[in-house]
Amino acid sequence: MSSAVELLSDIRQSSERRPFEVLKLAEPLLNTGKISRVDDVWLVYEQVFTAAIDEGQIELAKTILTILHKRFNDSQRVRRLYGMVNEAVGHPSEAKQLYQQMLDADETNVLASKRLVALLKAEGHTKEAISQLVTYLDTHANDFEAWLELCSLYLRHNLYPQAAFCVEEIILQQPANHYFHLCYAEICYTMGNLGTALKEYLRVVELSTDNVRGFYGVKLVADRILELGNLSKKEQQDAGLADAPQPATLQRLSQLATERLVHAYNSAGETSKKTAEAWLKE
Amino acid sequence: MGALAEGIDQEMFLDPEIRNWVLFPITVIMVLVGVFRHQITILMTGDPPKPEIKDIRQGKALMRGQLLAQNNSYIPAAAFAERKRYLCQAYEEGTYLKNKANKDQGPANLMTDPKNMEVMMDGMKKQMMGIIPQTLIMGWIQFFFSGFILIKLPFPLGLRFKQMLQSGIMTPNMDVRWVSSLSWYFINLFGLRGVFSLLLGGENSADGIRDMTAMGTMGAMGQQPGQPQDFNKQFLGMKDNLSIIYHEWDLANIEQRVLVKYGKQNRLFKSSAAK
Repeated sequence: MSSAVELLSDIRQSSERRPFEVLKLAEPLLNTGKISRVDDVWLVYEQVFTAAIDEGQIELAKTILTILHKRFNDSQRVRRLYGMVNEAVGHPSEAKQLYQQMLDADETNVLASKRLVALLKAEGHTKEAISQLVTYLDTHANDFEAWLELCSLYLRHNLYPQAAFCVEEIILQQPANHYFHLCYAEICYTMGNLGTALKEYLRVVELSTDNVRGFYGVKLVADRILELGNLSKKEQQDAGLADAPQPATLQRLSQLATERLVHAYNSAGETSKKTAEAWLKE
Repeated sequence: MGALAEGIDQEMFLDPEIRNWVLFPITVIMVLVGVFRHQITILMTGDPPKPEIKDIRQGKALMRGQLLAQNNSYIPAAAFAERKRYLCQAYEEGTYLKNKANKDQGPANLMTDPKNMEVMMDGMKKQMMGIIPQTLIMGWIQFFFSGFILIKLPFPLGLRFKQMLQSGIMTPNMDVRWVSSLSWYFINLFGLRGVFSLLLGGENSADGIRDMTAMGTMGAMGQQPGQPQDFNKQFLGMKDNLSIIYHEWDLANIEQRVLVKYGKQNRLFKSSAAK
């Protein structure tokens, strides 16, 4: 029992979304009633509630919600859960109304504003979601997860410069996380800003040794820049290549990427190794 | 001689009644008072006042500037320049200020703001809750048990501890191992923290040491009770900070760094100019 509780708390702390496992772990706890002896019983209830919503077990979610409501009568956090049930059973307008009420009562309610964005996104109103999120970020500028969400919303609309801005904001807050540099590199490459993309891909492989996605990027961009050859001043400016590395350096980088990728795929299965080698030979 | 002097000291015997009616009661009462105080504090402290959304926005805007100043080398020059320009302008104009209209008037007077009064009253109440019971217990001990010796420590101690362990007793020749009632009170005051955190959980308001520190800082606090922050000034300061930053992109020589890292090059060139 204790290991299940520990696992649940691990999942909760890393805020991973693993509803199936959560339900599986929590089921014996709920059935035997042992859950009331857990230290963070209310947090576990909330966690199981969200998992149940994710898994579509509305009845279970409702039961838990009744328990939570009994304990925390007029809690905003529990009200938000009511909104989530409404969302899950397909009454988005009621959920929206509820969140709006919560925000009217207390406009600093972070959970409600985030739910509202999620609701708009789920309904497909990306534009409204974006403007809602921008309002939220105007106040809570240090919430990098919100920036990440805004970035992905912009990407849905192919608004690359805006998305790049969001990632820059995230990098300012978390400069040592290679994943964000990878996102930035990919967005830059898509925008045709090859110089920045190359440097950011290199940063990825510097931070995360033998990062396959990073080395693919390095190879792709370095070869592309070599292919372009001599550009005019204007074209160089456009591709962010004003101070690009020398062709010799580019070649070495490309070679390095090939070498590391071959090395990475040596341990992988035959087929993926062959595919990778074929791509690298091109 | 030494053996003789020690022998005389050892001759003292304590009445078990002292143990039963003084030593234990003091300890028990102090624990009970601590628990009681914890409960009262919970009762008296309402919810902390909620910050308004504009307060949050103001604070976070400043944090954003700090982040930019701190981590500016991780984003490309163009991205930095864009942010610097925007934030400097916003700071200058007071876009993020809570009361944008009267930004030049300086901070509002504390006393006129009822919310601040509440915060101050809360602090006062808490401090009073700390000081009053401790003073009462100390007075009680001094009144009834002054000059009592309660226990003998089972280990020898240097003379330095005399003041600590025998306060309230004026016998210069007594062995330091004997502990007086007032000292027992102080030992309890500082030593019961562990017991309280066991009984009431880590975040309790029962232990007395915090009151001591509170009393210490009260003098300094008394003159300027929580001077409100002048965000306009801070914004302008941050603007100056940002505008003098010389931006150097951290990735300027990344090619060399990666080549060195993966063993393709022996040394790092000083800067990208050397390539």
